[in-house]
Amino acid sequence: MGEFLSAVGDVLSSESTYLSGWRFACALAFVALGEWVAERAGTINVSVEGAMLAGAFAAVVGGDLTGSIWVGLLFAVVAGLLVVMIQAHLSHNLTVNQFVVGLTINILVAGTASYLNSSLSPASPKAHVFEVPGLVEIPVLGPALFGQPWPLYLLYPLIPIMWWVVYRTRWGLEVRAAGENPQAADVSSVNVNARRRQAIYVAGITSGLGGGYLLLGWIGRFEDAIVGGQGFIAIAAVYFGGWTLRGTMFGCLLFGSVNSFRISLPGIGYQINSEMLSALPYVLTILVLAIFSKRIREPQSLAQPFVRGLR
Amino acid sequence: MVTLQPAAAELLGITKRFGAVVACSNVDLKLRKGEIHGILGENGAGKSTLMKVLIGLALPDAGSILIHGKPSRIKDPAEAASLGIGMVHQHFSLVEPLTVWENVILGEQARLSASSARRRVKEISERYGLEIDPNDRVFNLSAGLRQRVEIIKCLRRDPGIVVLDEPTAVLTPQESEQLFRVLRRVVERDNKAVALVSHKLDEVLSATDRITIMRAGEVVERLNTSEADAPSLARAMLGRPVSLRSKGIALGHIEIDEGLAEEGGGSESEEPGILPVLRISGASAKGRDGRVLLDSLSLEVRPGEIVGVAGVEGNGQAALGDVMSSLLRLQSGTVTVGGKQIPTGKPGAMARAGVAVIPSDRHESGCVLNMSVAENLTLVSPPRSSLGLGILDRKARRSQAEILMAQFAVQASGPEAPMWSLSGGNQQRVLLARELSGNPKVLVASQPTRGLDVGGIEYVSNRIRQAAEEGVGVLLISTELEEVLDIAERIVILFRGGIVGEMPRSGVDIERLGLLMSGAAAATAAGAAAC
Ligand SMILES: Nc1ncnc2c1ncn2[C@@H]1O[C@H](COP(=O)(O)OP(=O)(O)O)[C@@H](O)[C@H]1O
Ligand SMILES: [Mg+2]
Repeated sequence: MGEFLSAVGDVLSSESTYLSGWRFACALAFVALGEWVAERAGTINVSVEGAMLAGAFAAVVGGDLTGSIWVGLLFAVVAGLLVVMIQAHLSHNLTVNQFVVGLTINILVAGTASYLNSSLSPASPKAHVFEVPGLVEIPVLGPALFGQPWPLYLLYPLIPIMWWVVYRTRWGLEVRAAGENPQAADVSSVNVNARRRQAIYVAGITSGLGGGYLLLGWIGRFEDAIVGGQGFIAIAAVYFGGWTLRGTMFGCLLFGSVNSFRISLPGIGYQINSEMLSALPYVLTILVLAIFSKRIREPQSLAQPFVRGLR
Repeated sequence: MVTLQPAAAELLGITKRFGAVVACSNVDLKLRKGEIHGILGENGAGKSTLMKVLIGLALPDAGSILIHGKPSRIKDPAEAASLGIGMVHQHFSLVEPLTVWENVILGEQARLSASSARRRVKEISERYGLEIDPNDRVFNLSAGLRQRVEIIKCLRRDPGIVVLDEPTAVLTPQESEQLFRVLRRVVERDNKAVALVSHKLDEVLSATDRITIMRAGEVVERLNTSEADAPSLARAMLGRPVSLRSKGIALGHIEIDEGLAEEGGGSESEEPGILPVLRISGASAKGRDGRVLLDSLSLEVRPGEIVGVAGVEGNGQAALGDVMSSLLRLQSGTVTVGGKQIPTGKPGAMARAGVAVIPSDRHESGCVLNMSVAENLTLVSPPRSSLGLGILDRKARRSQAEILMAQFAVQASGPEAPMWSLSGGNQQRVLLARELSGNPKVLVASQPTRGLDVGGIEYVSNRIRQAAEEGVGVLLISTELEEVLDIAERIVILFRGGIVGEMPRSGVDIERLGLLMSGAAAATAAGAAAC
């Protein structure tokens, strides 16, 4: 036990733990940011996993073709968007069950990306690390927050922007209404299914971006397991956060840290069952939902399709 | 007499079918400026459907609509709003977690500005005397205040045509009066056209200028309110002469007939000798979110007595029903049935103690729509095969079902007909048959006549009276005052999870009843006590 604690201490005092914890947390946060919007509008958008993977693959293709990180990110966004457009159309125009659609999309994307990758083997340059002058000097946290590959910094302004859009714009109001009481929103002349589709597009854009960031920021090559369930963990983060943005982002930080912890423990010579740790985000989410169920208000029409006139 | 000005809205030859049901059949309706037009008809007459056509929630199969004389195709609520048609919906137009002002401006096009929206809400609320705090969240508001929000929301765009569909269902009598005063102001000051949909005679008689009566999807009569009286309206509405007293529920007509009520009067139930068959004392319960559902509620029902629990929706009716269905556990207090204390929240405990329940949402918790009538009838105690092993005896079930269907006059193509194929009234008969066939000691009926037509209402209320005559203690929980007044012998008033007053049906004082329902009497009593 003492040995274990000292290993934990080593991990906690090492700068690289924070660096990688933050890096994982930000990948989750890109996805969770959009997923949060989609869920506020009433969709559990399972296809964020596929959108993230498509984003990663498109990013490497874009980077390979042009050598530009910006173009790679643009490819990622477009790919993420295209993937979720299928989800949006099928579940909010044709009211096919959203989970069936999402899971099918995820399998399709995984297969397609894997096949194309093995036949094309694209490779992209990696984004350079940009150290924000001054801020990077902050002890312990400085390098984690401000000494990262530059696409990570796209996340920072995106968080307050998303908050503002959801809580301070008419579009955001209509999105929230569509997730809570779509019948009421409909008779108030809100186009419920359009808002729900648009919220899913937002999730696709941020998920694609998250996938692109993951690939261009860290690896430069596509691997089948590059996303490895992080889309699902992002969904768990939204639940964990009780459908608030603050809570969702905190969930990403926590789950990202768990992930980096899992990876760094063996690196400092300590073995722990890493499968068990990878289940931790889900266990924590269930615990939070069970403990705080009285305080949490989930969107009342989450995962329910909207059809005019039906109650 | 003849006005050259075109009507504000004119519906011509509107027909709307839902499968085989013709909800509206060749209906004409003309709404004029400066008039409140009552649209009267019993449940299922097609009133809501007609209004949905006007507001763009349903597309008509035939017919046309003229708005201010111009032919218009109204394909969705946004289109209706742009033509100046506003509607106060009974059920689903407020989003509870949002604030009042957010609800009011939901669906508008302009840029969102909280401060100007708050100002708008204030303006409208002052103009029409509808006081409200724009920053309150809707889930914190009472039914009456929510109604205000609905009206402000409807008036926000200054519509020329205002439609209200059964707006008083959740209001106390005083709140209804206030609503009608506001409508009068809207009509007189702003020269708007108002359509007031209702199945309540009294309401239409007192609040409207002109009346259109619908029956089974058709217009059966048009008249000026000044020429109308209750009996003739009732006759037109139902298609046959009726005794108003027994149709009070369906028609929303309250008759205070001292003499008649006295003879059946509650004196026997006051006798101290008879022990109550149901006693709830000091019942308190909180919801999952910590909200108080029941607050030391106490009441008693004696064998053969029908006690009506009156109150505005949302004051604990659902929780009370849930306790009696063993769905909710009390934090404190007890429930005693036939002298024995019954643990609360323990599945099946109430049913085993002899409590039968007719839930208010018969579709959701009352019956299984995808199962047959026979299966629904024997859901609780299905006849077992002699082979044991929990195998069901289908033959016995069928014959048992046939007997019950005959006893309760259930109209269906047979015991194997799926439950969903039955009309609301027949579904309710199936429920009654199932619950009463177990010889219960106590019957808890929540809104048992909601949504039924007159025949259905008559049957169900008679069956309940009959059960009481046979010695069952009946607890009738209802937000429809007419239902309580028609069936119950003694009335208790539910407010914020507790009983705040009681009166016998015979000496009922409607004004005091309304005050108690709104909590006003409780407040003044508390104020007096404090002095
Ligand atoms: N969406 C629907 N689907 C099928 N039947 C419906 C639907 N809406 C209404 N109806 C039927 O149309 C008839 C008229 O209903 P409605 O207009 O709601 O009557 P009212 O408002 O006068 O009580 C009823 O028989 C009802 O069952
Ligand atoms: Mg109706």
